Amino acid sequence: MLERGLEEKFYVLNLGPQHPSTHGVLRVELQMEGEFIVKADPDIGYGHRGHEHMAENRSYLQFLPNLGRVDYLHALAYNQCYCMAVEKLLELKVPERAEFIRVITCELNRIASHLLWIGAYLLDLGAFTPFLYCFDDRENILDLLDRVTGSRLTYCYYRFGGVPRDVDDDFLAGCKAFARRLRSRYRDYENLVNKNVIFLERTKGIGIISQEQCVKYGLTGPMVRGSGIPYDLRKCEPYSAYPLFDFDIPVGSTGDIYDRYMVRYREMEQSLRIIEQAVDKIPAGPIMAEKVPKRIKPAPGEVYTAVEAARGEFGIYLVSQGDTTPYRLKLRVPSFGNLSILPEIAVDTLVADLVAILGSIDVVVPEIDR
Amino acid sequence: MLLNELTQALSRLNLAQVAPGDYAKTGCHLEVEAAPAQMPEVARLMLEKGCFLESLTAVDFPEHFTLVYHFNHFRELCRTVVHARVPKEAEAPTISHIYPAANWYEREVYDLFGLKFAGHPDLRRILLPFEADFHPLRKKFAPSETPADA
Repeated sequence: MLERGLEEKFYVLNLGPQHPSTHGVLRVELQMEGEFIVKADPDIGYGHRGHEHMAENRSYLQFLPNLGRVDYLHALAYNQCYCMAVEKLLELKVPERAEFIRVITCELNRIASHLLWIGAYLLDLGAFTPFLYCFDDRENILDLLDRVTGSRLTYCYYRFGGVPRDVDDDFLAGCKAFARRLRSRYRDYENLVNKNVIFLERTKGIGIISQEQCVKYGLTGPMVRGSGIPYDLRKCEPYSAYPLFDFDIPVGSTGDIYDRYMVRYREMEQSLRIIEQAVDKIPAGPIMAEKVPKRIKPAPGEVYTAVEAARGEFGIYLVSQGDTTPYRLKLRVPSFGNLSILPEIAVDTLVADLVAILGSIDVVVPEIDR
Repeated sequence: MLLNELTQALSRLNLAQVAPGDYAKTGCHLEVEAAPAQMPEVARLMLEKGCFLESLTAVDFPEHFTLVYHFNHFRELCRTVVHARVPKEAEAPTISHIYPAANWYEREVYDLFGLKFAGHPDLRRILLPFEADFHPLRKKFAPSETPADA
């Protein structure tokens, strides 16, 4: 253990808000003793836009585009959660084809998010080349999603009761081609990253999170799966068409950064499996529920829905009082809970390791700030 | 089964309501109503049973605030929602010493609603600037109240 001296030995170091490794405007105030961190205090809220307040001031449909801007990297999962919440209040049944389309596009978006994380994270650790590979692969997904959703980043594709535009055969063929392409790249990723000695040295045994900490801090997503808890809402609380597909939940064993990396890396293959099965089995039929009311005005009540987003559990708590706007809408974002453990695991680490730990949480700061 | 276990254990705490929820409609398996003063007790019990704090937020009703706690379990799906009514201008006891996750959630509720948590170790604003003098999710807050230079 380190020897602690007098208070004067400590000095304060600001990490961020404009620091490349904080991926957005996040500031971490560090109390340092030499190279070691004594105390870390994340300061969030630089990008607070008041999404929850906006929800109370506009109609249900008007709020839909906001969801793509909460977590811009896995926007479709956020679309889906909000649609599910409103559909539950309205008791709408989404047609099967629409559920399949949602699953395919949502999983593509998840791979895109993981690819971006892998690229950007390795950049944090000083490896430049994987970034180029990841963005090259991610570009294919963006082109595919651009075709059906009309946008490349802040998607707003799902509607209450289904999806507005059908997918064509070219898109489905494109999904299969992408699966083949990404699989052919695994060897490159393994050689470039997974077996890279520098990468292993920087990630193994660092930033360990115990299962007990996962419970106390309410962590979700790859953060808990890296620690060996198979908590994935696609399996634990099945929604949409996920029960129809065969896929595994990758988990780690020690809960260090390397495990979290491997969980995300292996999740891409599972998403590909889901996409391929969905493309093979997609049924014909309508893509929009019948009798979707023109004016969305759900009966009074409250509902909690949750989906598995790339960063963890995204939940919506919605209170309706029978009006055309929500009475209260709470966005339970995964990064908020996941970041709250940082002060605990940052203590007694080096600044260089803190950058590695912070990156491994995979925070999207706009979703924390909301 | 976790649901029965929780129902039994919570019933012993003398709460206002412990009833099974309509999962298909509300997404919750168990609906509980408690007084704010009972929350530390409830939280301790939930932690003992291995549940994690999924979400903590508030709703501003005309006569009172309602604190809404969602608990869930990693191994067995069982979402418990706890409602606690807090009179306006009253304080609620913190549960951050039991669930560290609540530390930030309670700061957020304080920041957005102005609802204070007694015993919280570090009740500063979290999303808004520290010097802000308004609580934006209160129903009577209108954006025009914001000072022009904010």
